[in-house]
Amino acid sequence: MNRLDRLRGPVPPRAHDARAIAALAANPGCARRALLDAAGVDKDGTARHLGFPAPFGQSQFAITRGNVFEALVKENGCAELLRLMRELLGLPVDQVGYQDVENVGSHLRASHTRALIDRAARELDAAVFYDHPMLSLEIAGHTAYLEPDVLAFQLGGRFHIVEIKSFAVIDGQAEPEKVAAAARQAAVYVMALRALMADLGHDPERVSHDVVLICPENFANRPTASLVDVRKQLAVLKRQLARMARVDRLLEGLPPELTFSLDPDDEGVPTRSARELAEALGRIPARYAPDCLSTCDMCMFCRDEARSCGSTDLLGRQVRDQLGGVAAASEALGLAEGTVVPGEGQEEIARVLRLANRLREECLT
Amino acid sequence: MSESLDALERRIAELRAEVRRAVKARDGARARALRGDLRRAELAWDEAIMAEDPAAIVPGLRELQEAGTSLMPIREQVHQALLLLGVPAAARLVVAVNAAFFSGALRGPQLTSLRRDEERSFRSDPYARPYYLCAALTDRLSPARGLLADSTWPLEARVVGPLSPRVDYLTAAVRIAEHLERLADSPPGAARLLSRMAQNIPGAAEGFAPADPMTVVRAARAELEVHLAADAAQRAEVAARASGQLTDVERLFGASALSTLRGAC
Amino acid sequence: MSTLLALARLRAMRDGVAQRITTVRHCHVSERPMVFIPLKLAGEAAAPLGAMVGTDPDHPRLLVVPQPRNRDLRFAFAGELAEVLLPYIESFQKATETVEKKVGEPYERCLDAPQIVVPNRPAVAFTGLLGRSTRFRRVDGPYPVHPSVPLLGRWLTYFTDRASQPGSSLLLAATDVLGAHWATGQSGLEDANLAALVGWIDPPPGMSGPRAAEEAEDPLLWPPAGPATDPGFDNEVLGPAIRAYEDAPTARAVERVAQALRSQLEPTWRLTWRAVELLRALPEGSRVRDRWDADRGSFTRFVERIAEGGPPQARRDGAVGAAARLAGLERARAGYDVQRAYDDPLVMAEYRLTGEAFAGVVTGAEPEHFEGEGRSRKLRPLITVRTQDPVRLAPGAVLGSPDRRGHGAEVVGLAGGEITLKIVKGMGRGKTPAPGAVPQPGERVCYTSLTDDFQTSAALPDPEQTPWTHGGPPEEYAPSDDDAQEEWE
Repeated sequence: MNRLDRLRGPVPPRAHDARAIAALAANPGCARRALLDAAGVDKDGTARHLGFPAPFGQSQFAITRGNVFEALVKENGCAELLRLMRELLGLPVDQVGYQDVENVGSHLRASHTRALIDRAARELDAAVFYDHPMLSLEIAGHTAYLEPDVLAFQLGGRFHIVEIKSFAVIDGQAEPEKVAAAARQAAVYVMALRALMADLGHDPERVSHDVVLICPENFANRPTASLVDVRKQLAVLKRQLARMARVDRLLEGLPPELTFSLDPDDEGVPTRSARELAEALGRIPARYAPDCLSTCDMCMFCRDEARSCGSTDLLGRQVRDQLGGVAAASEALGLAEGTVVPGEGQEEIARVLRLANRLREECLT
Repeated sequence: MSESLDALERRIAELRAEVRRAVKARDGARARALRGDLRRAELAWDEAIMAEDPAAIVPGLRELQEAGTSLMPIREQVHQALLLLGVPAAARLVVAVNAAFFSGALRGPQLTSLRRDEERSFRSDPYARPYYLCAALTDRLSPARGLLADSTWPLEARVVGPLSPRVDYLTAAVRIAEHLERLADSPPGAARLLSRMAQNIPGAAEGFAPADPMTVVRAARAELEVHLAADAAQRAEVAARASGQLTDVERLFGASALSTLRGAC
Repeated sequence: MSTLLALARLRAMRDGVAQRITTVRHCHVSERPMVFIPLKLAGEAAAPLGAMVGTDPDHPRLLVVPQPRNRDLRFAFAGELAEVLLPYIESFQKATETVEKKVGEPYERCLDAPQIVVPNRPAVAFTGLLGRSTRFRRVDGPYPVHPSVPLLGRWLTYFTDRASQPGSSLLLAATDVLGAHWATGQSGLEDANLAALVGWIDPPPGMSGPRAAEEAEDPLLWPPAGPATDPGFDNEVLGPAIRAYEDAPTARAVERVAQALRSQLEPTWRLTWRAVELLRALPEGSRVRDRWDADRGSFTRFVERIAEGGPPQARRDGAVGAAARLAGLERARAGYDVQRAYDDPLVMAEYRLTGEAFAGVVTGAEPEHFEGEGRSRKLRPLITVRTQDPVRLAPGAVLGSPDRRGHGAEVVGLAGGEITLKIVKGMGRGKTPAPGAVPQPGERVCYTSLTDDFQTSAALPDPEQTPWTHGGPPEEYAPSDDDAQEEWE
């Protein structure tokens, strides 16, 4: 049994979707997260079992809205999308072909996508839009299946990932965090399609790093398209995936019997006590930052851990930077109040903290 | 009276919180039981407020909502829309045409099991009906997802190649425009539908102004010119295969996934 | 983020309660603010779900959109909001004062101005979107709306624009202003939760700040302050209520949605008023009034613009407009920072920490020191100040002081914790300095290189002379039919 499989225990690995893969790059320095992801551990289930469920949830209204908008963009053989691609990329009028990959049934989608992409790359097929495609990507030894909204292929021999999102672009502006999240997700698809192209013996660079982002314009449902360059997201992703492939280094020094198994009993409840699980997790250092609260299923557990050891990480990276990397709140306060003797290399931050402390006292008394 | 309403409101609020807690804890059974209690409390509240103010029901709105009804069976309403369009169409377009020109009583979810029902009927008593609402066939001779067609159409019109969705879209736009031209006064919903479709056809619409039917016809025909020959050739090839390889049922409702091995790709 | 602020957060963490980071209040708090708490439908850009609004903490007005996807109901909501907001705004327009200017004509200014308080920054953004989606509507044509709707849109847009102006108090986000006066023992990200922030600042009796903040994160105990609602609430409560309304749009069904929304809005309504009280309890900084005067002036100009029938605000600024706006914001930011430092020793301490300011005791004074000969002979009193602060000022640096308005000094020299200054401004025209103008030995003084007179911004061309590289002169903005008919679905 492989080390990572033992870490996960006798449960199937958690499948990564594009959003999960994109999130891998969110906190690259966190060893706990890197190991859990590499082993395919169900982080959400782990956090629940520990009594620290993540505060994530999706409103049915948001889900419905997303589905309705996607259907609108794709209806009638992607008629709306075709107009947008003609406007945006100057698609010639005879390029209109449409293939619904899902016509073959869901179990054959990945192989059918592969066959269609191969035909397109050899210029044997006239289609522009491949709807409901399925791609795959190797993540730390496991195959993750990915479902981009649409793949577009057009004159000039280049493929584009089309990402349909229901957040609005108002007067040419969208919420930057949402655009960034869409770009990270689309980068995963670009990477997967490039891997497929390489595997088929075609030039992977024929997959454009410009993805087509489709959003509703202003307050109506009418879609608008823009090109988003995802080169940076691709680079970050590549780096993080390479790091995950090198998890051996993280495994060094860990006891061989260590496991985060959620092996359930007959009623689906993990047999292991939450305390044991927490102890096992404690063997691997986390790098909690407040940003985790929006990206990682384990955030509430790690925050609690950071609280119990009074870590300055809780206050955010900016504060931590100001404190010159002093990790414990009590140590920083001790330096400020003169009750802790500065260690080597701490003289400067201690001087600034003492001064700040004197000024604060002076102004508030 | 109002005191019991207050008490009920408090109880409802408590139950809602408990339901959400149960859902969060993934305790499905408890959530269900609590939802039952919640439903009962809400009903009691409804009754209590009715007793307090019998005039509370807004008149008129209900009638408004039920204005669009039709006595025609659903399959006939769908057929009516398909006849107008003349090409295989997805449920959304069928519903939109029904709303624009006909009863407006058709709802998307009503169409989901239609094809299956028609297939069952055909299997038990083939050709007993003058027409069946059937599938469009892909180049693998499998049923195309989501498309509805008329069994009386020639096979060439019921199969789809890669170019067909565009050709059919343009054809549908032409047919809708022509139908609008024939009507003495055009229903506003129909004009909106045409304008929306025209947005996606080069030269068919100016800005957001309502589309002129004849301009739409001209523009759509111009683009059709580009695709028609290639599309017809592809369709003819698929249709020939379909008539040679498929059983009667399969010709109408498509071959199952396994038999698609006989297909092209 | 300065070390002082980081230190305050550390202390809050240790003591379990938020720490003051100012000694005075730096925003205006109106005697009669209007609190506005909007909710929006998840997944939509600007679909209002409902709102709680009003000037009386005990009597909020609840506005409800029983089916937020229905366009007519949305405009009905906008109309109702206008019914509350517009009379409030109008109530400030009548009483005015005449302001004399040093240069130019005297002008009229409203004696007071409206102040809207929303719970958080996303509520400010949503207010802007509501304004954007209503200000171009027409009262005639194909999709007519009530005349109050486009007017509401222009006001909401005005307030939102003004909120990006540093130091303006016309539209306040409670989390922002509280966060500008207190530091908590959690991260800035978590401070965006109003209930958690108030929990740190003012925990309920017997509860610590972190405990109160933890409770505040449970959406069942403390619904989010909006505009986004809790997904659990959407799925469990709101969804069924909206479906019931769709099945039978009765008054009962409306009341059910209203009930649901009230449960989400009421806690935030109370919290936002609590935030107003907390701020009001702080002593006001002395320059807050000047900034409120500027707010009143801006408000008056916008009232005039509407009265003159000017067009609604454009969708986007032209090139020159955008550059001018940016320069204006930068100036306002710099001015606001300096004013706060002059008003507040704890803010000034930030500059003492970086060596741009210092405080200390006067150890020597030479009030009748002169410089130059003959006609150019000038009174230039000298003082020496001893300080422990790490001063980073070079000889020749021009300084001001928060202790004396109009006072100016120049650094002559620094030696071993002693700084020699020469007074160059604010000691009168006589042969001897005006009484009190020169600090006496033994007096505590503070000096800083921050001054309120900034370089005026680079001259921008008039909009008519916009260079072609920046798109040429903008067309006069005239809203089109497309603007008015734009869908809002």
